[in-house]
Amino acid sequence: MATVNLQSDSEALLLERVRKGEPEAFYELVRPYERGIYFSARSILNNDADAEEVVQEAILKAFKSLARFRQESKFGTWIIQITINEARMKLRKDRRHLYDSLDEPRRGEDEGDYVPRDFADWREIPSEALESARLRHALKEALASLSPKYRQVLVLRDIEHLNIGETAKLLGITEAAVKTRLLRARLIMRDALAPGFDGAWKKGQEYQKVRPF
Amino acid sequence: MARRPIEIDCEEVWRQVSNYLDDELDNQLRAVMAAHFKNCAHCSAILDGTKNVLKLVGDGKAFELPADSSRRFYTKLDRHLAATKSKNVRGS
Repeated sequence: MATVNLQSDSEALLLERVRKGEPEAFYELVRPYERGIYFSARSILNNDADAEEVVQEAILKAFKSLARFRQESKFGTWIIQITINEARMKLRKDRRHLYDSLDEPRRGEDEGDYVPRDFADWREIPSEALESARLRHALKEALASLSPKYRQVLVLRDIEHLNIGETAKLLGITEAAVKTRLLRARLIMRDALAPGFDGAWKKGQEYQKVRPF
Repeated sequence: MARRPIEIDCEEVWRQVSNYLDDELDNQLRAVMAAHFKNCAHCSAILDGTKNVLKLVGDGKAFELPADSSRRFYTKLDRHLAATKSKNVRGS
């Protein structure tokens, strides 16, 4: 998130305008957080359509409850909290996930320490690496392969750059839990992306399948 | 007399690597880990790889919103405001 002072000044102005009866200003308030809102929802719901529906609902709810927003907290964090709550509610309502707990571990991946599987040295990543659609696809797949509780911390902390305290608060877990889950999430991502990093991307070779977990 | 550094094994390094990258460790543990990385190729590989993962996922270009989705995000709000306006007899 951008320089706090600059952002909070212009945000304060936008909030004032909305409160004075200029709803169009609300759109400007939300715009910088579109990605954060969407990816937070997506990290919980794991499909685009549901995430979009939740985002629409969260934006509406935020508008309606703007009177309740206290300016001591950051608008971005506040609207992401609303989004996460909406996403969880949808998950509970959705019959498909009736037996799918938010925290259900997959295939014993929660047991004990995570042992890295790949020791390949990837010291160089060219700056143009992300121009590769294959790499972006691999990142998306790797992220989707994470269990929800690891995916959620990675999205908030490493993609949306919230700090550990903010991440803990948004997910309703302790900071210690954030750190433990983050460790696992990061190491799993590293192993999942390892095939491409053996040099396949640099050499322009066919991308190998992400290692399943 | 120089103090002997506390030794740390690889498994402990792997447990702390995420905290190391986030600068969440006290100075002593941080220094011990730094020394370990200098002498351990496996752990260095893990550190560098994890750092690269952070660089990639943290880049704004890494994950894209679905095409045209950002317009659709405001659909419900648009409808709500339109409904509110039409109910507003006096106007602004």
